[in-house]
Amino acid sequence: MAPLKSLEREYPLIDSIFQNFCASHGIFTVEDFLIHDLYLLAALAEQNNNSGKLKQGITQVFSIIDNQCRPWLNGLELLNDVEQNKHVLSTGCERIDAFLQGGLREGHLTELVGPSSSGKTQVCLQAASNVARKYSGRVMYFVSGNSFSSKRIVEFVRQMSDPANNQANSTLQQVMKCIICHSIFDIFRLLDVLHQLKHSLRSQMDCQVRMLIIDSISSLVSPVLGGSGAHGHALMATAGFLLKELAHENNLAVVVTNHMVAGEGGVSKPALGESWKNIPHVRLLLSQDHVTNISSMSILKHPYLVCFFACMAVWLSLKCLLISE
Amino acid sequence: MATTREWLKPDETAKELLVRVLTERPLLLLPPPLHRLPFRVGNVVEIVGPSPSAKTLILIQAAINCILPKEWNGVEYGGLGRAVMFVDLDCRFDVLRFSQLLKRRLIGSRANVLGNEHDDFHELLTVCMRRFLYIRCYNSLEFLVILKTMHCRLQKEKETQAGGVYLLMIDSIGAFYWMDRALLSSSGSNNRKSLSLQCVVETMVQEIQRLLLVHPMLVLASKSASFGDKQSTTEVIRNPGKGSSVMAMDFRSGPQNLLHREYMPSVWQSFVTHRIQVRPSDYSCKYQNNATYLTEWLLPSLKFSDKFIINDDGLLVIL
Repeated sequence: MAPLKSLEREYPLIDSIFQNFCASHGIFTVEDFLIHDLYLLAALAEQNNNSGKLKQGITQVFSIIDNQCRPWLNGLELLNDVEQNKHVLSTGCERIDAFLQGGLREGHLTELVGPSSSGKTQVCLQAASNVARKYSGRVMYFVSGNSFSSKRIVEFVRQMSDPANNQANSTLQQVMKCIICHSIFDIFRLLDVLHQLKHSLRSQMDCQVRMLIIDSISSLVSPVLGGSGAHGHALMATAGFLLKELAHENNLAVVVTNHMVAGEGGVSKPALGESWKNIPHVRLLLSQDHVTNISSMSILKHPYLVCFFACMAVWLSLKCLLISE
Repeated sequence: MATTREWLKPDETAKELLVRVLTERPLLLLPPPLHRLPFRVGNVVEIVGPSPSAKTLILIQAAINCILPKEWNGVEYGGLGRAVMFVDLDCRFDVLRFSQLLKRRLIGSRANVLGNEHDDFHELLTVCMRRFLYIRCYNSLEFLVILKTMHCRLQKEKETQAGGVYLLMIDSIGAFYWMDRALLSSSGSNNRKSLSLQCVVETMVQEIQRLLLVHPMLVLASKSASFGDKQSTTEVIRNPGKGSSVMAMDFRSGPQNLLHREYMPSVWQSFVTHRIQVRPSDYSCKYQNNATYLTEWLLPSLKFSDKFIINDDGLLVIL
């Protein structure tokens, strides 16, 4: 938020007298205003010989604050927004779609958690290729461990499209153009890229982005966690809220992956655990049986599928991801 | 002399006071699992529990109870007919679920009425949904902006909707804890207030207190908590798969440590008048498909606890 000085040009009421008055009470920025008692400030302004003008200044800053505020929406407006702007995107795998009642919802932050080789990346790659193919939507694909495989995307697209279709090649090109891959190796770069994305989406330069994938977010976040300071957790929460903001305000389906680490007693647990849990809308657990190579998906958390599918787990072999019948 | 006598005269008797308070600020019973204690406006109720423990669902059910009319076209709905303000700090509120639950509730109340006319169903739904006001914010400064500007909004609501806002909901109060803890305390000048968790929460409590003076409301706030150690012993797998080796990880094992770690600054803790704890329980043999939850009143501390499940309709059912 802005220092008061920078507001002077736009709002003549916030002049140097007003700024001096504020500075004498320790207010230099709009943020400082927010943590001050405005009624008390108005009472203090009353004692000043320039009280009328100072109070106008306070009202001016208050209206600046008010304008920044998002509007309150009533239930109907909310429902309208969801029905018109937040669609469900198919993942390209029929079983997963059926399991999740259609797929991944725009506006939601979905987390895939599971041990290595449980199929997290495969689900991401398939969802990316399907969104690019079926909806011609742009997919931002952020990878932290070189897990992106364009070959695999080609395979997925080939299987999804009709072999008799002679435009297969142009479809493929279209799909490949839609998926934009970034390699990111630390959380600061991630925050940087997310801010850039937020900016470009706000200025309508990139209105076709439908999906954002981060594979894997845990390998970016877990190195900064630990220690006695709060900064690691703060970075994690900042990234989480930024993702939720991007998802909601720009109608993106956001998918992140979280790997597993050994916890106490040899039991594996998600790398991002207790304090991350509150961030995603949907948490899906992927796990694989090593003998049969069958992966299964189960719901750890979901805003509306809480119990309708209480004891249903979807079983997918990696082949199923390959061949979506 | 006359004025002194006037001053000495009692303003009202205890009976008059009681009648006045009971009509102006009536006792209110919220739907289960908050049904054990009566509340009145001005109370601040905190629902604390790990994630997921149906905290948001409890808030949603209380909200639905508030926005439903008491009676509509001769059908009894048993609601309060007042508006609700929902401040979403977690940014995870799902309006589809909300409208689904509201519809179920309406259908449920109309089930025993003959001659279901469908046209007034839609009208009633619209009326109810209009009473639900929602805002989300992504950091605590946005939250402070909302609180500072809420007075005008409440005033407007009072004029447009009969009775005005009755419930203020905050989901969840500790959402920005980590972000605020890392705020830079920029104490460049000696009298400048430093921006910190303490300061943010103090301002927040002060603003809510001021709102409550002018607009009598009941405040319901959820707070996510981690129980026991840092391990995810409280994680509930809703649909444990069968047979696979990795699936054997049992989040529910381990002794339940009942004490939750309080992390909000004391200014918030002392602001809370009622506190209820919700947690998933191991006891689920009878209702295998549905996770069972336990509730316990911590403030005031009641000796018994309730069990509830979430049934297939997504409703809370007390066992």
